[in-house]
Parts: sequence; structure tokens; C-alpha cells
Amino acid sequence: MAKSGIQYSKIAEIKGPLVVVDDVENAAFDELVEIQTTSGEKRLGKVLEVGNGKAVVQVFEGTTGLSISQTNAKFVGKVMEMPVSEQVLGRIFDGLGRPKDGLPDPIADKFLDINGSPMNPEQREYPRDFIQTGVSVIDGMLTLVRGQKLPIFSGSGMSHNVLAAQIARQASVVGTNDEFAVVFAAIGVQYSESEYFRRSLEESGALKRSVLFLNLADDPAIERIITPRVALTVAEYLAYEVGMHVLVILTDMTNYAEALREISAAREEVPGRKGYPGYLYTDLSTIYERAGRLRGKNGSVTQMPILSMPSDDITHPIPDLTGYITEGQIVLGRDLFRQGVYPPVNILMSLSRIMKDGIGEGRTRADHQEISNQNYDAYSRAQEVRALVGIVGKAGLTNIDLKYLDFGDTLEKEFLTQDVDENRSIDETLLLQWKAASLLPKNELTKVKDKFISMYYKSTK
Amino acid sequence: MELNKLENLLNTIITQSESELTSNLIDTLNESKEVLLKSYDSLANEYDKIINNGKKESDKLTKQIIGSAELESRNKQLAILEEYIEKVFSTVTSKLENMARENEYSKFLSSLIDESIKTLGTSDIEVSINDKDETIIKSVLTKFTTVKLASKRIACLGGIKAKSKNGAMILDNTIDARLANMKPLIRKEIATKFGVNN
Repeated sequence: MAKSGIQYSKIAEIKGPLVVVDDVENAAFDELVEIQTTSGEKRLGKVLEVGNGKAVVQVFEGTTGLSISQTNAKFVGKVMEMPVSEQVLGRIFDGLGRPKDGLPDPIADKFLDINGSPMNPEQREYPRDFIQTGVSVIDGMLTLVRGQKLPIFSGSGMSHNVLAAQIARQASVVGTNDEFAVVFAAIGVQYSESEYFRRSLEESGALKRSVLFLNLADDPAIERIITPRVALTVAEYLAYEVGMHVLVILTDMTNYAEALREISAAREEVPGRKGYPGYLYTDLSTIYERAGRLRGKNGSVTQMPILSMPSDDITHPIPDLTGYITEGQIVLGRDLFRQGVYPPVNILMSLSRIMKDGIGEGRTRADHQEISNQNYDAYSRAQEVRALVGIVGKAGLTNIDLKYLDFGDTLEKEFLTQDVDENRSIDETLLLQWKAASLLPKNELTKVKDKFISMYYKSTK
Repeated sequence: MELNKLENLLNTIITQSESELTSNLIDTLNESKEVLLKSYDSLANEYDKIINNGKKESDKLTKQIIGSAELESRNKQLAILEEYIEKVFSTVTSKLENMARENEYSKFLSSLIDESIKTLGTSDIEVSINDKDETIIKSVLTKFTTVKLASKRIACLGGIKAKSKNGAMILDNTIDARLANMKPLIRKEIATKFGVNN
């Protein structure tokens, strides 16, 4: 790293969120920079490019009001660090990790590089064990596993933030005394949404085991590049140093990608799909890949990034590239949302790839995987029958088709739909799954072993 | 004769009606018992449901009340701790401000100038100081022939601010700047002395 503390006063150019500093020697890539105006105002930035005596600095708080002649850049000689300790629990920070709750800076146990240190792949442990969110459709059919990265793909105006807050309030690890924490990073959200998150955690008493990072929509877009990183740094500390199981909720990653696009455009880089930089995949992976478990460490980092798909387009570069990195996805459906279903999860488009490793005997219940598969299969058939009703009408359906239609409605009304503050246990969730499956004749339950049918099937006759 | 027949018929009808009525009454009684039995079950279920919901609600409220109280007390503790940390800082600052500018301090200034020359990569520098250091710096600068003293004084606790000849590079090597840089670590040390983070 460069010699620390030198302040340079030769600013060659200010371009969008970037400041180009001249005559710079020994600056280092990613080095933290303090931009100072003559009035004493300080902003933070980091070095994006160095060479030929120039350093390109990305200013997190934006460059509005900066002038070439009255701006200095102090190269701090270290990368951006986040002070971490157990004291961060119950605290609210801004997008750059500065206290936003009127309390002093937390007394740091350590100062950690916000970029994290890459996990040794050999030391990684396979994600295992169940995180109960209290949301039936997630726990029952798209189970979240400790160490997993499971994104929620949503659309603008849908209830993803309500769902995110509900998960943050309710999530817990069951059947163990291990401690659990939630790190919640709101990226580019409206003030009303950020207040909702804050109040929701405060009023439910969940704030004491949570850490909130709030980057608002009117905060500088560039700050959004930092927000998920500081959040994950805190999560890693709590997981690997303190031994907690940490669920990180990042909402909305689309705003993050847009901030990345803004910087890329200012740097005049060759744009990729929809103007996003060609390294969007690599960049997203530096965030998502920070989820996991490490051998010999008690804790785990589980990620639930939420992204709103522009025009509900699942082929858009952000959900597309996210889907390559993460282990499944929870897709919210516009149709269900319009029908007033909450949470409007499109079951058939959603998938938790490593669900099988978090459920079953000793974790949830022995019949969990089978009843989930059965309901997935039957719901798919119910959707086909619904399409058929549109053509031939209900009168043209067979008795068994009518039963599937009934099953589909019950699954949506009783299992999928739940109140915003309804926290269902895994047993309640499985009970509802069996209640829906019991609308079908026993011989239709081909994915479930007979012993489970005899134990849990309840005839509706 | 006719009257007897009529009586018999009436008796038959009455007997039949009686037996039908009795049988109906028995059926109804059985049905009622069945309904009652079933309603016991559903009542028990409903009762369990209400108790469960009540328990959930009370757990939620307990969690909420305890969580808020714990946070509030923790936050008050943080505020008090910070108040004392700031007191320590202000005591230290005033001690530094009024310290004797003697031999040790002269050595300290020399080391700061040395460090500044190394960091800026040039010995052709100009140093700014506060009013109190005017006398002592003159003797220190006799060892650094290429270092000039700026005419303008700066407000600081002590130390120097070094500037390269062309003014493009500045190194703030004042006590204030060093204190500010070290503040997070010093806070931790002070907190440890108060028994926090132990």
C-alpha cells in the first residue's frame, strides 16, 4: 500500500462520480481516499485506476459541489475498513457503515477490509441445516439452508420488501442453541420503506439480534456499491469470529447493479448487455460468493438477495447473472400479487437447489421432501387443469380434474397465503401441505411413501 | 261392531305412531349425542387454537418488550461510555496543548520532519506550525537546511503540516491529525480500561 496520509491538491478532472487526481505517486488500487473541500467537508472514495501519475477516484458520496481548484484528495494508505464487534447488533448504519441511530461509533473489536477475504474453497463446508423463516411457502417448498444464497426475484411495486421484513423478523434456527442474527442491507430504498424496515424490526423486538444498513434512494448512487460489502463484512465477523448463524438480506440488488452501470459509464468502459458492464457477473459473484460455511467454524452466512426485475423480465441481465451464481431462486408472480395473494410466490418457477440438504429426519421431518415434491407435482397439474377450464369450462372436467382444481385453490388460499405477521412453525407448514394433498385421492399421491400417507393423510370425506 | 273396528284401527295407528315417534326420538337423541361428541372435538380444537394463538401472541409481546428494554439499556450504556471516552480525549487534548515544549518535543518535531520528507519523497518542503512552536522549530530547522518555515501559522495542538515545494502534496503530521487517525484504536483501549470488550 502507498505511503499514507499524503494529500494531493492537483485535481485534473471531475467526471460524474469520478475525480481524477494528477501527480499521484504510489497510490494503490482500491485505496481509501478522503476528498476534502476548502470548507472542510470530507467525503470518502476509493481508487479505481492508477498509472501515469494519475489516480481515478470513485467518490462514494457523489461529486456534487466539488470544484477542481478547491478540492484535495488525501490517500489514506489502506483499503476501506469496517469497525466490527458484537456491539453492532441492534444498531442502524447508513450505506457506508456510519451510525445512523444517533449513537456513537461501535467500539471496534477488529477493523475488517470490506472486500472480505476470499474463502479457501478447500475449507468450505457444504450448506446444511434448516433456517426457519416462518413463511410456509419458503419453509415448506423452497427451504432456506444455512450457508445458502437464495435470491428473491420480484418486480417493481410487488411485496418483496414486506416479505423481506417478515423474514428478517421471523427467521430463526430451530433445534439448536446456536445464536442467530440478521444483517439487513437496504440498497437504494425509499425513505418510507427504510422506516418500515426499521419500525418493523424495532416493534417486533428483532432489532436486538439484527444489524441494519440503510442506503436511501436519495443517497448518492455510488454509496450503493459499498452497502452490500459493509453488510457482508459485519455478517462474516458475526459468523466466523462470534459463531452466529447470520442471514443477510440484501434489497434491492437491482439498485446496486445500476450504480455499477453508472460508474462504468463514467469510466467510458465498453458497455455489455443493457449498458451494464461486462464484469457484472464477476462483480455480483464477489458479493454472492461471500455466503457459506467454513470448516472448523460454528457460524454460517446465508444470503437472501432481493432484486426487482425490470419489466418483470427474468431474462434481464441482473436476474440472469444472479441465477448463474446463486443456488435457486424464489420468484414472485405478478398474477398472484394482483389477486391479493401474499406472499405472491410463483411456486412452479421457484426452486431451492440445496433444499434436500436442509430438510428431512433430524432437521425438519422425514416426510418433508416427499410431500413437497407431491404438492409441486399436483400444483403443476392444477395449473394445467385451470388452463383447460379456460377452454372447455368446468363442466367438461373429469372428477379427478375437479379435485386437482380444488387442490390448487386450497394450496394457494391456505398454504401459500398467510398474514404479514403470521409466523408458522415447520409443523404447521407441513400440516397445511398435507391438508391440501389430502384433497386428492390416496392413489394420486405417487410421490409419497405409503407409511407417510397412513400417518398424515386426512380424508376430507 | 263397526265401532270396535274403528277402535282397533285407531289403536294400531296410535301404536305405530308411538313406535315411530319413539324411534325418531331415539334417532334424534343419538344424532344429538353424535353432534355433541363431535362438537366436543371441534370445541377442543378451537380451544387449543385459541390457547396456541394466545401463547404465540404472548411470546411475541414478551420478545418485543424484552428486546426493546435490552436495547434501550444497551444504548444508554453506550451513550455513557462515549461520554467518558470523550472526557478522556478532552483531558488528553488539553494536556497536549499545555505540555512543555522542551527537548523531548524538539526530538519529536525532528522525527515528524524526517517522516514527512520520506513520505513526500522530497526534502524541499515547507512546514507550517502553531504559534506555540515558533521558538522551538527554529532550532529544529537548523538540522534541515532545505526545509522552510511557512509564514502563516495554523491552529493545532502541535506537530507540523508539510507541503511540497510546488504545493501539490501536503502531509498533515500534526498531533491533531495523528490523534484523529488513531482515535478508533484509542477508543477501544479506553473502553477496555472501562471493562468493555474484555
